[in-house]
Amino acid sequence: MVLIPKIIDNNNEFWTALIAGAKMAAQENGIDLTVVAPDREEDYERQNELILAAVSQKPDVILIAPSHYTKTLEAVKEAKKNDIKIVFIDSEVEEPVWDSIVATDNFIAGTKMGNLAKQYIDDETQIAVVGHVKTSSTAIERIRGLEYILGSRKSQIVDMVFCDSSFDKAYALTVELIHKYPDLDLIVGTNEYSAVGAANAIKDMGLTGKVKMVGFDNSIEEVQLLEEGVFVGIVVQKPFNMGYLGVEQAYKIISREEFKVQLDSGSELITKDNMYTEENQKLLFPFVGRQFRETTD
Amino acid sequence: MFFQQLKRIWDKIFSSIRTSLIVSFSVLILSALLVFLFVSLNYTQDRILNNSISYTTQIIDLINHDIDSYIDYMENISLLVSNNNDVQQYLFAQTTSPEQQKTLYGRIQAQFKTVIESRSDISNIVVFSNSGRSIVNTGNEVLNEYISLYDLEWAMEAIKRDDGTSLSSSHVQNMIRNKYQWVVTLSRAIRNPYTNERAGLFFIDLNYDIISDLCENNSMGDMGYIYILDEEGNVIYHPQQQLIYSGLKEERIQEVLKSDSRYFVTNEGDHSRLYTISKSEKTGWTVVGVAYTAELMKGKEETQLIYLLTTGILLAVAVIIAIVMSSTITKPIKVLKDSMKEVEKGNFESANIELHSKNEIGSLSNSFNVMTQEIQNLMEQNIVEQRQKRKSELKALQSQINPHFLYNTLDSIIWMAEGGKTKEVVLMTSSLAKLMRQSFSNQAETVSIDKEIEYVRSYLTIQKMRYKDKLEFEISIDESIRHAEIVKLVLQPIVENAIYHGIKYKDEIGLIRIEGFEKDGKILIMIKDNGAGMDKETVEHILEEKKENYRSNGVGIYNVHMRLQLYYGPDYGIKYESRLGAGTIVTVTIPVRQS
Repeated sequence: MVLIPKIIDNNNEFWTALIAGAKMAAQENGIDLTVVAPDREEDYERQNELILAAVSQKPDVILIAPSHYTKTLEAVKEAKKNDIKIVFIDSEVEEPVWDSIVATDNFIAGTKMGNLAKQYIDDETQIAVVGHVKTSSTAIERIRGLEYILGSRKSQIVDMVFCDSSFDKAYALTVELIHKYPDLDLIVGTNEYSAVGAANAIKDMGLTGKVKMVGFDNSIEEVQLLEEGVFVGIVVQKPFNMGYLGVEQAYKIISREEFKVQLDSGSELITKDNMYTEENQKLLFPFVGRQFRETTD
Repeated sequence: MFFQQLKRIWDKIFSSIRTSLIVSFSVLILSALLVFLFVSLNYTQDRILNNSISYTTQIIDLINHDIDSYIDYMENISLLVSNNNDVQQYLFAQTTSPEQQKTLYGRIQAQFKTVIESRSDISNIVVFSNSGRSIVNTGNEVLNEYISLYDLEWAMEAIKRDDGTSLSSSHVQNMIRNKYQWVVTLSRAIRNPYTNERAGLFFIDLNYDIISDLCENNSMGDMGYIYILDEEGNVIYHPQQQLIYSGLKEERIQEVLKSDSRYFVTNEGDHSRLYTISKSEKTGWTVVGVAYTAELMKGKEETQLIYLLTTGILLAVAVIIAIVMSSTITKPIKVLKDSMKEVEKGNFESANIELHSKNEIGSLSNSFNVMTQEIQNLMEQNIVEQRQKRKSELKALQSQINPHFLYNTLDSIIWMAEGGKTKEVVLMTSSLAKLMRQSFSNQAETVSIDKEIEYVRSYLTIQKMRYKDKLEFEISIDESIRHAEIVKLVLQPIVENAIYHGIKYKDEIGLIRIEGFEKDGKILIMIKDNGAGMDKETVEHILEEKKENYRSNGVGIYNVHMRLQLYYGPDYGIKYESRLGAGTIVTVTIPVRQS
């Protein structure tokens, strides 16, 4: 098997956990797993090269976290042509070319953000959304989930901006929003870049507590912003589970066992109050035990 | 139908003693071996499981003990630190100058540095007071200002508890800024020496280096593992901790906590596991050893194989012995049986059995030998007796010269001598002399055909002279049969009969013709006369005993026929053909035997 995530970066907790999960599942099932990835998350061209290189080695399965919704498709189709099974992890492409996909159900994750936001909303509340990539399936789904929960209060969303997965742009857009809507009460960030960028702007502008933040994803920085009270809550994905379940699905496909075409790896809402509960600390911080270290080395 | 078939098979198996013995032995041995196999396999399985349980229990107890010692060691450190004068001074003294503070800080921090650098299993070592003074690790790190001591369960427990120490479960340490690690925290409250209140805290964070070493270095088999639970059933350490935390794997925790026994075995078929439990009084932790029974029983398959092999070999040897033994037992019986078959056929010579053993069958064979020998002797005796009997019978049947014939001939000689017929007297006398000589001569039963013919010729010569021109005879014997043997005095009575009952009643000259030749491997001698002949009825009864009509010379044709048959067997003898008024042909048939 070959796993091609969007990036290999030891400083990135999401992908590190995902790869660790995949490696652990491989180890458990006695699978030979190779992991290759570009150095930058948005480098879809490099990822396509890696996919084609993997195809030439004729593995049974390629697990891919596609970097681009449209431009990764051709390389994946090439793999399909060579009778290689495709398991998507985390993201998808515009056509359903996968045999199985393991990802967070982003609509459900969006509803979780909505449920948290709703607690801080009354008739006067003004809401803004700082999204990541307007055309990405993840952003669309998360916002759809959020709006579904807000229901009639959807109209209270005064603005929706997109930072193109850049901290700096998110920061700048948030500062702009605050100037534009001085009475803004609540900001929702739809991924780590949006959430952390926006939260840092709020914090720096001394609006902590006045403008409530609902975040997405999990990093040390986000955890600290949660501790500080900048975020009222964050919705976290389960990258370790994603990697683990992805390889497990792939294994089931090649050993002709029953597998799921679509598998939700799950997401959880975490607030400042419950972040150190028994269960939630397990979600926020991977257990960096010996086994974990061995698989990530 | 089925039972009939079964019975047929049964009968076939037990039709011979040998197969009966082999089958019985084999069945007996096989059942004994199977019982042995079953008992020993079960016994072995139980033994292996019990051994495994006591073995794993020992290991788990040992690990528990090691962990206790480890925690003990850490407690000692915590005791040393919290009672340390420098530490208490640094945390609580109100009157010290900044220089003094700095000196104290330097000393404590140097000690912390030594501890941290010498022990990779310690992640953090921290003291702090509620007044805000703290020393964290080597001094490069600070406390997380957003976390309050009073929110931390483990810290509050240390402060509230009488002995002032607390051991946490596995948790994420969030007291230190920018550092979030899974650890086990050992904490101890520090008393303010001035107010005697518990106003400070020492804690030491243990990562899992030593604990995993302790758990992993002890073998529970290749697949087995060891994990640790706290009193509430939270996982402190598990080799697959991340998978369990992620909800991807489940561990039997409630079962362990509720178990009254030190061990239990799960019922998961091939994946059944043996859980061994050891609870520590000191830490309250439970060390659980998990071993796969399939692995524990790995020796079982080997043992099974050895048992099976041994059983197989024993069975083979037993069957071979059964075959050999039953052969040894039944071979003499078979020999006896074959020998009896020979006796049935009458072959006594090959019926004698060689004796090899002195057992029952040996003595049986011996008796058989004696018996056959006896039978053989009796039979030989019988043959001798029969032969003698026959001989005497033959003798009795042998014809004697009719005395009337002798008187008549002598009368004829007298008459001829008175008539001066010297020549005739000489011829008749010499013929009579020949006749007498042969008649009384040797004891032999047989003579050559030549001699027999001479005898008849002498007789005919005498008769011809007595009957003058009324009798003629011709004799023609093939040269080839002249030396063949024939029972003596056979032809003369036939010729005599021909004369007295054939020629005598004829007016013209009677002719007697004797022909001898070989045909189809037999010798035929025909005596033909052209005398009166006989009717059919007379011919039919001629060979019967004591026909009054033919007792003229005392020795009947019947006697001749009997002698021939006694001597040569029923295929041989005399045959009469006759027609009234035309004559009679008598055929004597005998085998070709050279004298």
